[in-house]
Amino acid sequence: MRAGRLLPLAALLAWLAGGLAAASLGGSGYPPPSALRSTAASASWDMGALAFGARRLFADLWFVRLMQYYGTPEIPEDGHDEASCAEPGHHHHHYGLNGEGRYPLFLPISLHVLQLDPYFGAAALYSAGSLAFNMNRPADAEAVLRFALAYDQRAWKHLNLLAAIGYSRSGDPAAVAAALAPMLKDPDCPVMLKQQAAFLNKRIGNYAAAAAIYADIAATSRDQAYVANARRELQKLASAAGGRP
Amino acid sequence: MSQHAVSFSGVEKTYRRPGLTGASYHTALKDLSFEIPAGEVTGLLGLNGAGKTTIMKLITGLLFPTAGKVKVFGHSPSDAAAKARVGFLPELPYFPPQLKPAAALRYYGSLSGLYGPALDAAVEAAMRRTGLEPHAGKRVSEFSKGMLQRLGLAQALLHAPDLLVLDEPVSGLDPLAIHDIRGLLASLNAEGRAVFLSSHSISEVEKLCSRVLIMVQGRLAAVVKRQEWEAAPGGLEGIFVEAVR
Amino acid sequence: MMRRLSLLRAVALDSFLSGTRDKLFTLFSVFAFTAVYASVLAGVMAVDQEARVLSDMGLALMELTALAYALFSASTALLREAETKTIYLVFSRPVPRGLYLAGKLGGSLLTSALMLAVMAAMHLLLLRLRGFGVPDCYGWALAGSFLKLAVITSFALFVSLFSTSAVSTLVISGIMWTLGHFAPEARFLAEKAEGLRAAALKTALFLVPNLQLLNARDASGSACALPAAALVPAVCWVLACYLGALWLLRRKEF
Repeated sequence: MRAGRLLPLAALLAWLAGGLAAASLGGSGYPPPSALRSTAASASWDMGALAFGARRLFADLWFVRLMQYYGTPEIPEDGHDEASCAEPGHHHHHYGLNGEGRYPLFLPISLHVLQLDPYFGAAALYSAGSLAFNMNRPADAEAVLRFALAYDQRAWKHLNLLAAIGYSRSGDPAAVAAALAPMLKDPDCPVMLKQQAAFLNKRIGNYAAAAAIYADIAATSRDQAYVANARRELQKLASAAGGRP
Repeated sequence: MSQHAVSFSGVEKTYRRPGLTGASYHTALKDLSFEIPAGEVTGLLGLNGAGKTTIMKLITGLLFPTAGKVKVFGHSPSDAAAKARVGFLPELPYFPPQLKPAAALRYYGSLSGLYGPALDAAVEAAMRRTGLEPHAGKRVSEFSKGMLQRLGLAQALLHAPDLLVLDEPVSGLDPLAIHDIRGLLASLNAEGRAVFLSSHSISEVEKLCSRVLIMVQGRLAAVVKRQEWEAAPGGLEGIFVEAVR
Repeated sequence: MMRRLSLLRAVALDSFLSGTRDKLFTLFSVFAFTAVYASVLAGVMAVDQEARVLSDMGLALMELTALAYALFSASTALLREAETKTIYLVFSRPVPRGLYLAGKLGGSLLTSALMLAVMAAMHLLLLRLRGFGVPDCYGWALAGSFLKLAVITSFALFVSLFSTSAVSTLVISGIMWTLGHFAPEARFLAEKAEGLRAAALKTALFLVPNLQLLNARDASGSACALPAAALVPAVCWVLACYLGALWLLRRKEF
């Protein structure tokens, strides 16, 4: 009977001990909820992400949405299609386009992905790369990378991309290609950055490096548009090499 | 060693049913005192709601008395020492339908503290004793009501209890099954085991018991011995009807 | 001691076998398989991030499926035994209620572990078929999910002993699950708040188990390895629920 009376006290003590032990273990390393800039559409998703402990998964889903959004051609206000990229061989993910455009939701969605999971390196690199090199919005690209770096200070690829964006602003394609080079073999490196690097290498006459990157894209990417383009470029480089003395 | 298998002294049992507008109370047993002698077959008669099942649950430690004392072989019914000497057959026992009888018995045998060869022997003996051996290959789902009742009895016999508490052991059975169970209970009593059974069948109680308790609205209305009902002109039925009217 | 161990094993094994025999278990397995397969479709949409999406989605679905089963089985475990009267056959025997409760909890956790293992095997097979290996931290993610399930299952078992129905147990435990994942956010808010509000939030933090601490599946960056110290709160919470449930069960009539 005495033991029976002590049970609730023992239960309460054990529960509080659990709380105390948990409190000593520190936080999750994720941005606080106040950092989640939710739109009306994303608010309930964000609640789900937090309530079910699935920030990574919801970041993934937002990233898929971002790619779908960016993969859909924008209809310009004047009713004409966007002009193709002036540079031959500068192909992007977009159907019949090169990724240029305003895409006003691109930055908010990119930031939302990172607010959910700032350690999602591939998303940060993809967003920043697209903003800087396709949409010519280097300031926005830097904002994306700086947000991710605030949580993931050891993300050297982010720093490299920041440098590449800086070189791009100063019109130094060789330096951009050099800054991108170390991250190309990393599994987190988005294929659009690889393609950018290949394109720049080709532009500065570094055909062997360009061919190697295209070959890597053709062998490793799961994006058939990029793979097809890489194969085309490899063929072009091979025939050009055949014509060169 | 106690002379009585069971003794009730001034027992009261009140059920509390919580409700939205406060709890409601129902007194099922009032100031109940009686003894069940060891080695005898005692019957319990009463109309629905008279408190028969409540008495059985108090003996088996499934309920606790609100007032008064219940002793089983001199111990509190909650004590392991008391429970080890009691076998209980509730009304309409349930067994998982996909099990074979030996598997069900093995589980209950292990709960009674049997293991190893002792458990094997107990299961085999209980199956033999209750006539389940020819049906050993069947699953519980294939059992008739009579066979289920035999299985219920078998689980109550596994640990060779000194007292069998049987709630409506012949309810809904065909005449042949009733005959077999009657024979089994008589043989168990012949071994010196006390049997305490409740029933709506006065004729069955009359055939099996040496003593009968008649309950009316939670109170003990009469304790009748075999000699008394055999001498009465209307037999046990006459005494029962007189008591409950 | 041998007798007690044999009793514990018998109850746990019965709980485990009835869990695995249950049609519900089969249904959940089918559901999990279908759900994980659906995640392959979502993975395809993620193109070069397919491996990450497949891994995250599969792990989350596995955990939710196991959670649904664990909560359902914990909230109905004693209720069903009382309804079918099998509890009469148990507690009319010399079975200590604490041992019975431990066996039930053990069996339930064993069922959850089996569910996670079966679903993980399916998931890894799917990943393999898509050309991916075992994701980083996969074992930690499973271990974290199991620990979270252990906490919430024991909590549901505790709640089932005083709640009026299985549905209310499910709802209360479900709320605790979500609150448990909000704990780090609540801590952040508590640090920002002042006065009475801060005190109330900080008190609440002690009363809500921080499940995010065990959420290796969703851990930030490479910090997915569960520290050994994370076991301490998990064990404390399970023990607290067990002791609370035992206190209620000791007084419970059938």
